Amino acid sequence: MAIKKFRFFLASNIEKEEAWLTEMSQNGYHFTKYKYGFYYFEQDAAVSYVYQTDFRQDTDEVYFQLYKDAGWQHMMSYLESFHYFRTEADKSGFKKIYSDPESVAESLQRMMNMYVAIFLSLIAIQSGLFLMWDNSGLVSIISSTIVFSVILLYVFLLFSIKRKINYYRKQI
Amino acid sequence: MTKKASDFLPLSQATYYILLSLREIRHGYAIMQDVEEISHGEVTMGPGTLYGALGKLEKQRIITITTGEIDINDRRKYYELTELGIDVLKMEYRRLSSLIENAKEFINHLGGEKNGH
Repeated sequence: MAIKKFRFFLASNIEKEEAWLTEMSQNGYHFTKYKYGFYYFEQDAAVSYVYQTDFRQDTDEVYFQLYKDAGWQHMMSYLESFHYFRTEADKSGFKKIYSDPESVAESLQRMMNMYVAIFLSLIAIQSGLFLMWDNSGLVSIISSTIVFSVILLYVFLLFSIKRKINYYRKQI
Repeated sequence: MTKKASDFLPLSQATYYILLSLREIRHGYAIMQDVEEISHGEVTMGPGTLYGALGKLEKQRIITITTGEIDINDRRKYYELTELGIDVLKMEYRRLSSLIENAKEFINHLGGEKNGH
């Protein structure tokens, strides 16, 4: 039986998402794909997986082959950047795809770079639109509010990622 | 400007073991297995960490991808140390040895290694 659940995780909470997927799997629901905010699960009480997500944009077949060799099954990729992997939970205890704080920090830094780039282009596009707007009326107020919220969300996201990078760098 | 071997020191634990395992030509997963073996299970490397490290080392020309005798159906890359890589590894080994050597007398004086951990 398959089920789907709606959840929202910020990219900076990638560990919380991993923990949630792993916990779902312990309860017999195994994540298979993500689409438009929905997580899809297949039920099977006989197995349990550990889920880990890698952020990387420059992937190739060598990359996926390495994970496969190491016992990690590639479930899906989101935006060609977030790669969801799983491995059977009873395979020599608790496994992680990153084994030192340095490489975790590097992964978060790559994520940060992408979101900074998105954020800057967003600002550039919006300031262009803003200049063309007739700054009165309900439509303008509503769209300004939406744009402002999105910008705030991005600022929050960037700060959260930065804080995590610093946390991991301190452990090197 | 080309970098000297000493510019890459000290090596991280992961890098040190990767270079050690490349005493023979190996692909990624074979490196992971070898590192676990030569470190007596002390170091288990995740594929994310290894993939990132290999990319960096290749860019730094410490390791290189071998082109000979490759099966066209094999999607793996095989790596080997460059001359620079061999120098880096040797130099790191000497650095670590001298750290141990210089400390030996004092550690013995403190009651030896047996009280460690």
